[in-house]
Amino acid sequence: MALEKNESRPVAEKGEHIIARHLIDDDSIKEEKNLVIDGVDVSGRWNTFILSRVDSEFDRSFFNEIKETVVGSRINRCWQCGMCTASCTVTPLYRRFNPRAFIYMMQLGNLKELKKYIDVAWRCVGCYKCSQRCPKQVNPAEMMEALALVVKKYFPEEVETKLKLDEEVKKIYEDMILGHGRLDLAKLHTSSMQKAGRAKELLGRIERDAIFKMAKDGRAFSILKLGKPRGWGRSKDAIENYLKNLKTIERNTD
Amino acid sequence: MAENILVIGGGPAGLNAATMLSELGVNVTLVERDSFLGGNPKKFKYKFLFPDMQPADNVIGELIKKAEAAGNIKVNYSSEVSDFKENGKKFDATIKSADKSEIKTFDSVIVATGFEHFDPARDAKYSYQLFDDVIDIKDLERMMGENNLLRPSNGKPPKKVAFILCVGSRDRHVGNQYCSRVCCTVSVKQAIELREHFPDCEAYIFYMDIRTYGFFEDLYWKSMEEYDVQIVKGRVAEITSGPDNTVVCKGEDTLLRGPFEIQFDMVVLASGMEGGPQSPEISKKLGIELDEHGFLKPENVTLSPFKSNKDGIFLAGACTGPKAISDSITEGAAAAMNAYTYAVKNR
Ligand SMILES: Cc1cc2nc3c(=O)[nH]c(=O)nc-3n(C[C@H](O)[C@H](O)[C@H](O)COP(=O)(O)OP(=O)(O)OC[C@H]3O[C@@H](n4cnc5c(N)ncnc54)[C@H](O)[C@@H]3O)c2cc1C
Ligand code: SF4
Ligand code: SF4
Ligand code: SF4
Repeated sequence: MALEKNESRPVAEKGEHIIARHLIDDDSIKEEKNLVIDGVDVSGRWNTFILSRVDSEFDRSFFNEIKETVVGSRINRCWQCGMCTASCTVTPLYRRFNPRAFIYMMQLGNLKELKKYIDVAWRCVGCYKCSQRCPKQVNPAEMMEALALVVKKYFPEEVETKLKLDEEVKKIYEDMILGHGRLDLAKLHTSSMQKAGRAKELLGRIERDAIFKMAKDGRAFSILKLGKPRGWGRSKDAIENYLKNLKTIERNTD
Repeated sequence: MAENILVIGGGPAGLNAATMLSELGVNVTLVERDSFLGGNPKKFKYKFLFPDMQPADNVIGELIKKAEAAGNIKVNYSSEVSDFKENGKKFDATIKSADKSEIKTFDSVIVATGFEHFDPARDAKYSYQLFDDVIDIKDLERMMGENNLLRPSNGKPPKKVAFILCVGSRDRHVGNQYCSRVCCTVSVKQAIELREHFPDCEAYIFYMDIRTYGFFEDLYWKSMEEYDVQIVKGRVAEITSGPDNTVVCKGEDTLLRGPFEIQFDMVVLASGMEGGPQSPEISKKLGIELDEHGFLKPENVTLSPFKSNKDGIFLAGACTGPKAISDSITEGAAAAMNAYTYAVKNR
């Protein structure tokens, strides 16, 4: 049986022939856009498969890996009561950020599920409210650190694409702090919008009005006059040193 | 000459032990720190008992009546054992009340000092002290016993009530890792009673596990199938105040994956059982062992759950851990048998 791709023929959208298409995830459809078998064109309709969505494995090696880390050592304690998620600062803003559910996915090694949350997985702000409530003292706040490490290690490409903007904004933030010893919110906002390709919005009415107001009451100029904090050099060295160490740690856990 | 046996604590366990011993012809001295008999069920006016919802008086009233009617049980109300010494195989105890104190020699001793209700004020996240409409299962038992099921804040019938399980139990932060065993069953029982009284009142139970073990499960099924009690999976992490004199339960619905903040007009906390201050006190005074949960420790939890580590001193009821009244009564009988055997052997 000869398999041969025919690039020239234009075909329909993936899974277009499935009647209840809206019920099925993209990932669950297997289909060659252009496929000819033994000279017969079976593109689209004839080679569409819906993959089973049954979980068929609990991957304990993943659990063991998390348990080895300092931050994730208490993963075996969690009994899924939900008190962490209930007290979390971030969940009400991003319902998809759910510390309890993430811990469960890590316990069962369900990377397929975890992958769907890469964009929010690192959103923990480190307030430790969850750890204060957790009846088993799992320390879920630190479990979220374990999660961030895992996500980086197992999904480097997704992190690269989905978190690119975040990384860039983080860089702007770091440079600003290290360079000036101060956070210039206006500048951070402008640079982030530029990176996101949304610079145009900066010229909207609200922004224009704000700039005008700040120029009028003099705040805009006082910001420009702000210097560096006293003795900044030493603090700067300390922070740079810390960031360098952090990178080494991350590399070692990879 | 008849044997002399000391029973400390006049709850279900101590009462049954005393009555059985009296039937064997033993002279029983019963020491009770309260001014009445019947233990916690009497103190908090339990009205109907799980598992079969029979009136508490059928059980507790009956036990008290028997003990009081027996000619050879000397009940010492509002009193305690102030001093305790071993005397060969026997024991010298000083029994002290407000107006007198007497020393007596006993052939053996039964400790039935019971439990204390966990004080929910100790777990600040549940705002028990802040809001009138946040009560706990012992408060609700008492309210039902007094024929008053109305909202404490305004005296109106409740329209929407939440039960929160595992308060003061199974939580490292409050220091109690164990399960209190009865609070799930008490909660479903009370939810049924509420729905019976106020058919318009919705009842929800927030749970992590529902532990209506053995035949207690019948009540759990009944609460759902006959009374439409709704269970929601997730432990509540905080109680705050809401608009229109409501209280808000904040938690995660772990099945739906997401936080909720729901208004109720009454919240009932299923507070658990603790060894109370009496367990370490008695442990010290009598020289018997305390366990890591704050209850008295049996010599062997499986082989001899009614024996202390000291020969001649026996244990019965909730002083060795959370349990139902039936178990407490059974242990009272077991301890009585063992205390009697010990006394006869060392006559
Ligand atoms: C809210 C709630 C509802 C419940 N409802 C039910 C139910 O419906 N059905 C059921 O089967 N079980 C129920 N239980 C369980 C039941 O309360 C216990 O099983 C039972 O009370 C235990 O009996 P006890 O005699 O061991 O202890 P207790 O009832 O605690 O009695 C101990 C007695 O000892 C006295 N005492 C303590 N220390 C001393 C001392 N140092 N000197 C002298 N006296 C002392 C106390 O004053 C008390 O009278 C419920 C429990 C709770 C928390
Ligand atoms: S530490 Fe992170 S996970 Fe925990 S409550 Fe705060 S934001 Fe949520
Ligand atoms: S609060 Fe603790 S035990 Fe409960 S789900 Fe969160 S991490 Fe697990
Ligand atoms: S009996 Fe139920 S409510 Fe009580 S501690 Fe055990 S699981 Fe929690």
